[in-house]
Amino acid sequence: MKITFVKKILASGEPCPKCSDVEQRLVKTKQLAQIDEIVIADERDPESTGMILAKQLKVQRAPFFVVEDNGEQKVYTVYFKFAREVLGKQTSGADQAREILNDNPDLDYI
Amino acid sequence: MSPILSPQDVLKQAYESHDHVALSFSGAEDVVLIDMACNISEDVQVFCLDTGRLHPETYRFIEEVREHYGIDIDLLHPDADSLTSLVKQKGLFSFYRDGHQECCSIRKIEPLKKYLVNHDAWITGQRQDQSPTRVELPQYQLDTAFSDERRDLMKYNPLSYWSSAQVWQYIRSNDVPYNKLHDQGYMSIGCEPCTRATGPNEHERAGRWWWEEETQRECGLHIINLDTSDQ
Repeated sequence: MKITFVKKILASGEPCPKCSDVEQRLVKTKQLAQIDEIVIADERDPESTGMILAKQLKVQRAPFFVVEDNGEQKVYTVYFKFAREVLGKQTSGADQAREILNDNPDLDYI
Repeated sequence: MSPILSPQDVLKQAYESHDHVALSFSGAEDVVLIDMACNISEDVQVFCLDTGRLHPETYRFIEEVREHYGIDIDLLHPDADSLTSLVKQKGLFSFYRDGHQECCSIRKIEPLKKYLVNHDAWITGQRQDQSPTRVELPQYQLDTAFSDERRDLMKYNPLSYWSSAQVWQYIRSNDVPYNKLHDQGYMSIGCEPCTRATGPNEHERAGRWWWEEETQRECGLHIINLDTSDQ
């Protein structure tokens, strides 16, 4: 199995906050060692590896994970689903809520 | 494209299509939904996210609405362990430093997620004119945020095509009670530390999390950038 972690650099040159958040979680939970490759999707550079990969896989949000196993490829745009299904990690309700809000930023406006 | 329905027709559709419908009330101008729903269904189940940080005026308003309409309002509270952990680690005002998402996740999203598990549909007061990200907000949609493998959750947004002016016209025409903070310049009302009054030329969202930059909430991979690789 090969796991690729794609994180984004914003058009401003700053790292994507959500990508940084996910990367910190990977470090904190010692899961980073299970990631085989980290690639950058640089919004300033459409030819960056991550941007090309995103286009190939029709992914429109970052970060995302690409899991290749026995010739099959699966994309995860939700970290906690990836953590649960691929890394077998249980996640807390607060962590899941954070992910939901990150993916649906309008929800905090209710 | 589906025809645009009146807010009342959207509500009727929600109550006729589902057995367990929850109406979200923020303690602000979305009170119009309660007024409409109480004239449509005898079983109006209302909930409010009590983050513990609402304005005193909002708590009084929630009570006023409860008494005015004679309804129960379920107050949803944050998970005690999650909240204790956050406050212990980061204090009571971490949102000014770290952004509001972590606090909102614990005080709003986590209790909302738990509550909606027992429902088929929920109703929100979201409108297209509230935010650039809501310009295509439909009157009803599959809620992909809270649906899961076991069940689909529908979300109804009866006010999606209404403007703020239409909401206020309804409030005035129907003598609907409203949060007194609106008289003090608050267009949008959330938690007390995260909401301020807005000026006459400011967008209503400018009063929420005003210390954060818009880019901090942006996480999509811009299609426009992806498309440029073809050039």
